[in-house]
Amino acid sequence: MTTIMNRPASAPGSAAGRKPLIERLNIVTAFLLGTVSAVVVWQLALKFMPETPETSLFFNREDKISLLSLIAWFVGFMTGIGALNGPIRWAMGKDLSHSENMFLAGKDQGIKRYFRYTTDHKVVGIQYLVTTIIIFFVGGTLAMLIRTNLGHPSGGWIHPQAYNAIVGWHGIVMIVATIIMVTGPFGNFIMPIMIGARDMAFPRLNALSFWLIVAAIPPIFISFFTGGITTGWTAYNPLASQAGLGMNGYIAFICIFAISTMVAGANITTTVIKMRAKGMTWNRTPIFIYGVVASVALALPAFPVFFLSQIMSGLDRAFATSFYNSAGGGSGWLYENLFWIMGHPEVYVILLPAIAALMEMAPVFTRRPLFGFNLAVLGIAGICGLSILVWAHHMYISGWAPLLNAPFMLTTELISIPTGMLFLVLVGTLWRGRLWMTVPLMSIFALLWNFMIGGITGIYLSDVPADAFLHGSMYVTAHFHYTLMGAGLTGAIASLVYWFPKMTGRMLDKKLSWISFWMVQIGFNVAFMGMFMVGLAGQPRRVESYAAMFSRGNLITTIGAYTIMIGMLVLLHGVISSWRSGQKAPMNPWHAKTLEWTVANPVPLENFDVLPVVTSDAYGYGKAKS
Amino acid sequence: MSVETHAHHEHPDVVGSRNRLGLILILVADIAMALSVLFVYFYLKGQNVNDMWLPAATADTPAVMAVSSKGAWYVTILAAIGLLTHFYALQGVRAKNQTQLVLGGGLALVFSLAAMVYQFIQVSSAPFTTTSGAYASCYFLIAGLNALHLVLTVFIALGNWNRSRLGIYKSDHWHVDIVNIWWIWMTVSSALGAFALSFG
Repeated sequence: MTTIMNRPASAPGSAAGRKPLIERLNIVTAFLLGTVSAVVVWQLALKFMPETPETSLFFNREDKISLLSLIAWFVGFMTGIGALNGPIRWAMGKDLSHSENMFLAGKDQGIKRYFRYTTDHKVVGIQYLVTTIIIFFVGGTLAMLIRTNLGHPSGGWIHPQAYNAIVGWHGIVMIVATIIMVTGPFGNFIMPIMIGARDMAFPRLNALSFWLIVAAIPPIFISFFTGGITTGWTAYNPLASQAGLGMNGYIAFICIFAISTMVAGANITTTVIKMRAKGMTWNRTPIFIYGVVASVALALPAFPVFFLSQIMSGLDRAFATSFYNSAGGGSGWLYENLFWIMGHPEVYVILLPAIAALMEMAPVFTRRPLFGFNLAVLGIAGICGLSILVWAHHMYISGWAPLLNAPFMLTTELISIPTGMLFLVLVGTLWRGRLWMTVPLMSIFALLWNFMIGGITGIYLSDVPADAFLHGSMYVTAHFHYTLMGAGLTGAIASLVYWFPKMTGRMLDKKLSWISFWMVQIGFNVAFMGMFMVGLAGQPRRVESYAAMFSRGNLITTIGAYTIMIGMLVLLHGVISSWRSGQKAPMNPWHAKTLEWTVANPVPLENFDVLPVVTSDAYGYGKAKS
Repeated sequence: MSVETHAHHEHPDVVGSRNRLGLILILVADIAMALSVLFVYFYLKGQNVNDMWLPAATADTPAVMAVSSKGAWYVTILAAIGLLTHFYALQGVRAKNQTQLVLGGGLALVFSLAAMVYQFIQVSSAPFTTTSGAYASCYFLIAGLNALHLVLTVFIALGNWNRSRLGIYKSDHWHVDIVNIWWIWMTVSSALGAFALSFG
């Protein structure tokens, strides 16, 4: 909700013909100020920072300069986009006026609002959607470079050092893309309307969470040209402390992204708890909302730990502290613990909103109530609870606390029970439903298939003896792609098809979305079945060349990857062409019952003229008077 | 989903309640980080890898000794006094006593500044550097987190005092309530850091 204050203030644009500051800030000023700040700090640091003694380890001076420049970039960018206006005006006692708030909400600004610190949740949702697509495009291109190189046993056309950097870059870029792919676009655009709210609880924090992600992107791009992330996306220490300057970009990227996640988590949770429509009791709250809240609630305590791990990594690099350096009393296991305390809940941060979105769509396309609503909520809660107790299954063979392997094996295997509940809910809803064959419905079948494979292969990895053999192999890579991509991304693409009409006012091209669906799903299964084959046969992951015995499986994987790529390009073409000139969408093309389908296209600035009162749940299909 | 419609109106208390929850959730993140810092401290202390928690003297360098935690507790005491003065201001605004609000807010600002300055003095006068082993690393980490909290507190206390002075909190005072929650957590966080450093 945009806060409207009564204190007098000049109307935007009225001060002697000169635009107020708030109207002059946008993405251009942000990039300009960020770049200038970084260059100035870089030059000043070069001039005034004393040389590092020869006895010092690694790159201390260069790391200090590089990290300082990245901090300057961040501060400059956020100042340039207008993120500091609110706090400074608050401290000065000059709150934003009604007209300034309307300006920030993007009222009557057309396309320009997408390039400003706009607070309207629908604008933020679209900003997230476009950004996510761009990040996926980059990550996908990197994946194709990797697969092309692995098309032949000797690799060869990418230098091994560059190959390592590409693998690390692909990993972290895709992880971030999958974290935001549902919660960002649909959690922002759809969720407030779905619960009957006019906006998010904290619109300015909403804009902040998005622009923090934009601010985080240049550091990770720069890292590629300053040595890259040669450690893989996990950036294990002390390896990361010894890597080139590119690691500083990774550190800055993660720290900024973690702040964004924390801010978004607090905002989304508050919105759902405090701003649901009257009558929307927890039993009437759509299951998608549960998935989104569970995701951000998990991220809220998990990402600060990741943030801290990277701060300490930066300190080890720039100030030669000894958090991870065992020569100074530090421990590499400390990093592994901190990383995976975030890293495993993060898997469910990605999965839960995607699965919940598919559970939301299941009743719509089967015309049946959601089977076992309470079971679904219990499953989500169970996954959340257990996901924070499983992190050390990533560390079985690291030698850390072998006595804890058995308890961690148990907790990891237990998590298949609440996961099974979600399967049961989906299958139960599909059972004897009147199936409406759309891409979202087929995505549910795809998820059940992919996630079954991803889940069952995960049980082997949770088992200590099996993991001793499989750890670090292509089997692991195939397993997590089956979960994050086969389940997570499938849910995200289904969400795009399902909510595209509400977000853009146009229907997504049916033919292109079907072609894309089949190409991606077939390509995906071909690619990662091939990867399972070579993984089981013993091919390690993160290698740029391999023994000839693995060539057939790798070739199959590369062919599958190219099929995925073509499918994704078809989808991209479908999105762009439909957005520009697709068939106009009716208000409720799917005849769904959640609140977002009760508002007109395009959705008005404040969503509802009068706030709705909910009198029944959203899944009353096939019932009288619903 | 069946819906009816009704007119919409928001009371300042509703906005205040929402803001309070938002702050508490952000604090959940900050608490997770503060607890992680303590975990780092006690983990490395417990492991004492290569006996380098507090490195012994070598031919080139003297032994690293743990510093007294007195300084950290002094910072906490200053923060706690700041909290009390802010609470005094909060009682003022609840009783619609503008003078008490401004006075309490001003004192809270002064104590937050004092705590921040003392924290920086403490860091700059540490008898070791960042390269002096795991204890020194953890010491600077804890002090750094506290310094960051104090910088934020100074900013918040400044804004709170200025807005009190301008009479903005006459009509509704949920801002002052929320700032109080921050003060409580900042003081507790400072105490946790001092507690950890008491173990040497």
